[in-house]
Amino acid sequence: MKRVGVFICHCGTNISAAVDCEKVAENAKSFPGVAYSTDYKYMCAEPGQELIKKAIKEQKLDRIVVASCSPRMHEPTFRRCIESGGLNAYLLEMANIREHCSWVHPDDKERATIKATDLVKMAVAKVMQNEALVRSTIPITKRALVIGGGIAGIQAALDIANTGHIVDVVEKEPSIGGRMAQVDKTFPTLDCSACILTPKMVDVANHPNVNLITYSEIEKVEGYVGNFDVTIRKKARSVDLKACTGCGTCIQKCPTKVPSEFEMEMMDRKAIYTPFPQAIPNKPVIDRENCRYFKSGKCGVCQKVCPTNAVDFTQEDELVTERYGAIVVATGFDLFDESVYGEYGYGKYKDVITGLHFERLLNASGPTMGKIKRPSDGKIPQNVVFIKCVGSRDEAKGKAYCSKTCCMYTAKHATLVREKIKDSNAYVFYMDVRTPGKGYDEFYTRTTDQYGAKYIRGRVSKIYEKGDKLIVWGEDTLLGRPVEIEADMVVLATAMVAKADAAKLAQMVGFSYDQNHFYTEAHPKLAPVETHTAGVFLAGACQGPKDIPESVAQASAAAVKVCGLLSKEEMPTEPIISAVNEAICSGCGMCVPVCPYTAIDLKVIQERIHGKTVSRKVANVNSGLCQGCGACTVACRSAALNLKHFTNEQILAEVDALCL
Amino acid sequence: MSEMTKKMQEIAREILEKGEAQVVIGWEKGTFWYLSPPAFIDKPEDVQRLVWDDFCHNNLSKYLVDLKNHEGKTAVFVKGCDSRAFNRLLQDKQIDREKVILIGIPCPGLLDQDKAKELGKNSELPKAQKCLECQYPNPLVYDYYLGDKEALNEVAATKEAADYSDVAAIEAMSPDERYDFWTRQYDRCIRCYACRNVCPACSCRECVFDQTRVGWIGKANNSSENQFFALTRAMHVAGRCIECGECERACPMDIPIMLLNKKLVKDINELFGEYDAGVDIEGKLPLGHFDKNDPEEFM
Repeated sequence: MKRVGVFICHCGTNISAAVDCEKVAENAKSFPGVAYSTDYKYMCAEPGQELIKKAIKEQKLDRIVVASCSPRMHEPTFRRCIESGGLNAYLLEMANIREHCSWVHPDDKERATIKATDLVKMAVAKVMQNEALVRSTIPITKRALVIGGGIAGIQAALDIANTGHIVDVVEKEPSIGGRMAQVDKTFPTLDCSACILTPKMVDVANHPNVNLITYSEIEKVEGYVGNFDVTIRKKARSVDLKACTGCGTCIQKCPTKVPSEFEMEMMDRKAIYTPFPQAIPNKPVIDRENCRYFKSGKCGVCQKVCPTNAVDFTQEDELVTERYGAIVVATGFDLFDESVYGEYGYGKYKDVITGLHFERLLNASGPTMGKIKRPSDGKIPQNVVFIKCVGSRDEAKGKAYCSKTCCMYTAKHATLVREKIKDSNAYVFYMDVRTPGKGYDEFYTRTTDQYGAKYIRGRVSKIYEKGDKLIVWGEDTLLGRPVEIEADMVVLATAMVAKADAAKLAQMVGFSYDQNHFYTEAHPKLAPVETHTAGVFLAGACQGPKDIPESVAQASAAAVKVCGLLSKEEMPTEPIISAVNEAICSGCGMCVPVCPYTAIDLKVIQERIHGKTVSRKVANVNSGLCQGCGACTVACRSAALNLKHFTNEQILAEVDALCL
Repeated sequence: MSEMTKKMQEIAREILEKGEAQVVIGWEKGTFWYLSPPAFIDKPEDVQRLVWDDFCHNNLSKYLVDLKNHEGKTAVFVKGCDSRAFNRLLQDKQIDREKVILIGIPCPGLLDQDKAKELGKNSELPKAQKCLECQYPNPLVYDYYLGDKEALNEVAATKEAADYSDVAAIEAMSPDERYDFWTRQYDRCIRCYACRNVCPACSCRECVFDQTRVGWIGKANNSSENQFFALTRAMHVAGRCIECGECERACPMDIPIMLLNKKLVKDINELFGEYDAGVDIEGKLPLGHFDKNDPEEFM
């Protein structure tokens, strides 16, 4: 005789405000199989768990229903609880009476209570059919992959490598460094970005446990936590990295000039180039789209002048497949397309630029050698206007979210304008000034009080050219009057947005992303670097707008998660997987292509038919790869496949409990 | 004896005498003049039983599943629809191509058995509905081919475009009307499973309806269980039905089974792009692979 224990959680008032928990517990006593039923304020807390364990012992319970929050939240908690109470972890069923009931029906307690009762009834019917399941183990490949070689990727790689694990860093661009390499100074300390980044770049390049795979992209990801099989496309660099000494002769002699992406197209690079002087690897790559040799077959100067014969026009993309135990995704961000704001004249007026352009103007190795000059005529601007929230916090034209970093970098820019240009004026149009963070508000206060930047609360409605000036029209909403500023330069603090190909990568690796294509963490508070896909972790701005300290902190956090995983020899697998009834399986193989995890193949078995030994094929589920999604079970017509813990019979029991 | 019957007998004799195959599956005359059931010939002297006439309806590829563990090869005559069934069974890994010799027969379209029974031997008989709509009268795959190019062109000329007006009529009904319609149809079902047994898409080792699954699949012959059977059968052949119409022909209760099958063919065409089962054996099955871009209009 099965003895089910039912435990109804109030979740403080989260559930009890909308559901009569005592009544649900009382109702449950009459359900078939229920031997004990009670309610408690916080079932997940220590006393609640003790309550369950005590009841298992005293009431001789052999299976448990907890009616509380989503199993996403606390199923592992209660599984551990009943396991330490002496039951198999899979003899637990959760009824979600919070997300599925109290939160969605806050205003009708009577009917919400009826619904909660029904949900518990279904869970009881299901748990009566549950079977004890046993976890098996799979070996873990002790090698990590970091996708993205910006500051987050570099930090994650270094932290993982320092614990003795091998890390491969795949970077799409010819050099690691990412966005931080483009930035001139960092807030709130104003130390030089390159001075703190480039040593880390060198560290990661020289680290014996780190392999840098630059100018490469992820092509395909298969497998699962502990054993991901990742195919990497090494794009043809046209330069043999081993032979090249990085002398730069080829770059000097290359006749083709192309606007430099790194310098925000305010400077030219060559068709054979390194993105910036401190690039790592500091060896050039040929931009085949612009190279004269690849376009017309004529030229080849770089090859002729190369002293080590490193230039190789015949190189082709190379596909390599490597196995990894864990993946850190640190692919960074793009900038909002500010041309959406036609009234600011970006693209029309040369002296309306973005914050990242301004960073390059400030930089000693940038197009102006660190002098703030107007892109149009090279004159030093006296009046610089900064406009914040260009694309951020604007649901109509841009993104609803706050890009978080702009308040601080605009304060930094305003400070530097005042510091570098004598008698200059820095005007900042803002909606709010948001400066949480250590030393941040002090920095902002210095910008206004010490450096005398003029902050104007209000939006800019129009910018137009008048002579060599830009006339900025706006409104000072604090004083309630229009403002007109004769500016020499306008800097737009454009929003941080997800990479254009962010969704594609997420689909390839197999984790989720939000409506803005930022990657979704497993839990916004308690699992901020994990994804819902085991073994895949997030670092940096690919998860949402972040500044450098936050990206670094998150990268180190992701690294700890990776090391935790790689520190084990093997890991337990979830036993909720598909099982094959070989006697029924006809070997049609329909389940093989429908499996999103390539967990099923066909194996040959032998059996006796009419006195003869016959070989035939049947489906074979790889327990390490199967994620228990159940796609195969619906593809199987003869029901030879059944998903453990969610068998046809168990689901039917739930339906019957509700409908009969 | 028709020219084609002669050719069939000749080639069957040759194949058996040379020992190329141990069994030849064809058609022979049955109990009534309007029936030509399958014939399993394993001796050269029996080949005169073979016949090709207007009633060779049975889809012979289906029988290859029963013979898959036999030693040696099996030769089988295939019309257009039989050859599509063969391709489907190959895709479902139910038969070994190496163990089968296919003898293709261009099919001019067969006559309606029920009408033949009703109107008598010397009347003008209409073609079977499935043959009027047939898109593939010529075998798509074969090792031998009986008939010449001219015959091929003649057959092709009779080909008519797929017609879904009958499906559209059902779709136009209100849900209640449609429910009543199908209840009327399947209330007649006697659960003889003739539709399943004759269907080349039904190749499970043990059909779910033969399994003991208490509470899940009922064997009772009542309205609810019959409907469950009807829908399950239709979904199980979805994406794999080659529209040979054998289920409907075999049904002793005149249930319009093809109407359900055609509805699914139409839906699949609309949801996943035009697809004819059993034509291209390399391509992916519309309901048989994982694609992130599949339509999800129910979400």
